Amino acid sequence: MKKLGEALETVVVIAILLVLVHTFLDDYAVLAGWNVGARGLLVWTGLAFDVFFTVEFLVRMYLALMERQGVEYFFRQRGWVDFLASIPLLLLNSLPHALALLAGAGLLTGLGSFLNVLKVIKAIRIARILRLLRVVKLFRSIRYARSPMAQGHVSTIATIAVSILVLWTLGASVLEVTGIIPGLDQPFQAGQAQRAAIVSSAGAGPGLAARAASAAAMDSTLLVVRAQGGPIVYSRYPSTYYADQFLPGDYGYYLSNGVEVFTDERPLSVSSSREALVFLVAVVLTVLAFLFIYAPRFAMQVSDPIHVMRRGMAERDYNLEVRIPRGKEKDDVFELAALYNSVYLPLKDRMGGTEGAEGSAEGLKLEDLQDLARKS
Amino acid sequence: MKAVDTASDPVSRFAMRLMETPALRSLPALQKEEQALNVLRANGPQLLPVFTSLGMQVTRGWQEPAALVARALRSAADRMTEAEVSELVSSRLRLSFFPALSGGRPVPAGAAGELQGLITRAARHPVARSALSGSLAAAHSDIIDKYIPQLFERKKYIYVEVSRVQKLSLPPDALADLLRFIVVVRPAAYLFVMAGQVIDRESGYTPLQEQYLSKILPGLASGVPSIPQPILSLGLRCTLAWQEGSTNVEATSRLGAIMALRGRALAPAVTVDRGADSPDKSWFNVQRRNARFRGLDGKMLDELYTIASENGW
Repeated sequence: MKKLGEALETVVVIAILLVLVHTFLDDYAVLAGWNVGARGLLVWTGLAFDVFFTVEFLVRMYLALMERQGVEYFFRQRGWVDFLASIPLLLLNSLPHALALLAGAGLLTGLGSFLNVLKVIKAIRIARILRLLRVVKLFRSIRYARSPMAQGHVSTIATIAVSILVLWTLGASVLEVTGIIPGLDQPFQAGQAQRAAIVSSAGAGPGLAARAASAAAMDSTLLVVRAQGGPIVYSRYPSTYYADQFLPGDYGYYLSNGVEVFTDERPLSVSSSREALVFLVAVVLTVLAFLFIYAPRFAMQVSDPIHVMRRGMAERDYNLEVRIPRGKEKDDVFELAALYNSVYLPLKDRMGGTEGAEGSAEGLKLEDLQDLARKS
Repeated sequence: MKAVDTASDPVSRFAMRLMETPALRSLPALQKEEQALNVLRANGPQLLPVFTSLGMQVTRGWQEPAALVARALRSAADRMTEAEVSELVSSRLRLSFFPALSGGRPVPAGAAGELQGLITRAARHPVARSALSGSLAAAHSDIIDKYIPQLFERKKYIYVEVSRVQKLSLPPDALADLLRFIVVVRPAAYLFVMAGQVIDRESGYTPLQEQYLSKILPGLASGVPSIPQPILSLGLRCTLAWQEGSTNVEATSRLGAIMALRGRALAPAVTVDRGADSPDKSWFNVQRRNARFRGLDGKMLDELYTIASENGW
């Protein structure tokens, strides 16, 4: 059972690493202009990851509840990270996108109203930033064999830093989407809306095709114009091009006076993906800095000296001094270590060890003796 | 109590296997015994299932079966120590210093055998056995060979004390041999000490008095007639407490006392944790602070500490 648990933890770690790669590719694909096939595959894999992490959260929560440890798991063992990085992502990000992808083939042939739903989906797409919280989950799987304190400490600090980065960015995005703070994409979308209004100003009657062609000449993001439920009167590209290059989320959609106008929103997606990549790199660098710069420093200056002192006090024959780095003599821990070196160890030596301390045969455990007895 | 001498009974087999576990394998036999006894003492009550598996009666508590296991451990340690001493005397304990200290006389043929007899005798005496544990560990290890060349290179306090004050002109190899000789002879000084109720690891390191050594020297020397008394005395005088400024103990004996004590604390398998200082450096630093308490030469400890520190030992 324990081995199964360890194997599952390994699977989770691998999934977290893969999801990081996926997060990168998801945005890079937009920047690089990958075609619908490749980007669609990323949508499905994203859905698979979200389902996986949702199941993981539900299982952990269920097991915790069974052991009456639900509150402990959710609040103290970072179950809230597991939650934020799973269910909201599944419901607000990958599932709607997957559904939109399924409906994608009919977009230009009568499912225009679905695009209104898509606008909402786009608005809540900002939730995908929560994926980065999964990085924090990695800390649960890292084991500093000798110092649970170092593990807990570094993990807490990294969680605070990454959570603040992610939640603040999410909050700022919500303010943008709700219009409380004007976003950078507002002028772009206002321009498109204005063009759509011009095209549809005289309704779907005669002259729509000419107005559409004239507006399209001025605005390269105007793609398709048609009378609502009727035939296409203007299209910038052949329909095969749309099928190959456009996912449902790449369209802007305006309906006015019985005229439907489809615009190209990929420039916005490119800008947003660029920001997301910068943010991803920032989060990953933050975590790496905690892991490879802060954690070793913490270990060197706090947990290692404490570990050495603990062993010296617990084990009769462990008499190594704490190494005090130059320039750190005034740190509280090393002041304590200096006392340990200069007072405790000499006293221990005089007493021939510590009363009650363990015998020192390093690694000689009771279980070993039981094994030996069975073999004898 | 039933006898446990035969290797065929489960208790003896258990004792042998215990001393060969990876945790103890790298230690000299007497240290193996000491560590195994520590485990028995510290975990006695929890070992009842172990004793039961060995087919021992545990109805009257753990002490009685633990005593039987302790006896088996001692027997196993005796056999191993005998082999270790024999190997030490035949390969590592060269008497190359002998001519220089005995007016040019070559090493007598029986000297090595007599020395082996003296060490074996010490191994059978409870207090001397406690002292022998560290001495054998020091003699078997490279602790002496590591430091002697450094002392000759530095030509500081220890070198001056040995070569100018004690007036010994020995090459590094011969001095290392002399020190090995001194540390293994040292336990013999405790052969006439009455064992108290508790024989702990400090028993073999209690300083002795000069008059006491003068009394026991002739008796000990008669057991090793090939070795002149002044040479034998260098080993015994390791047990004297040295005081700052006094000249009562020869430099080699002072150095031998330090090495024997260091041998007791040697732990080849110990993990040097990140954040800890190296074993030798740590040990010499602690002993610098305890020099007066233990009657060791503080200046020698200072120099050895510096060497350990410079070399990361």
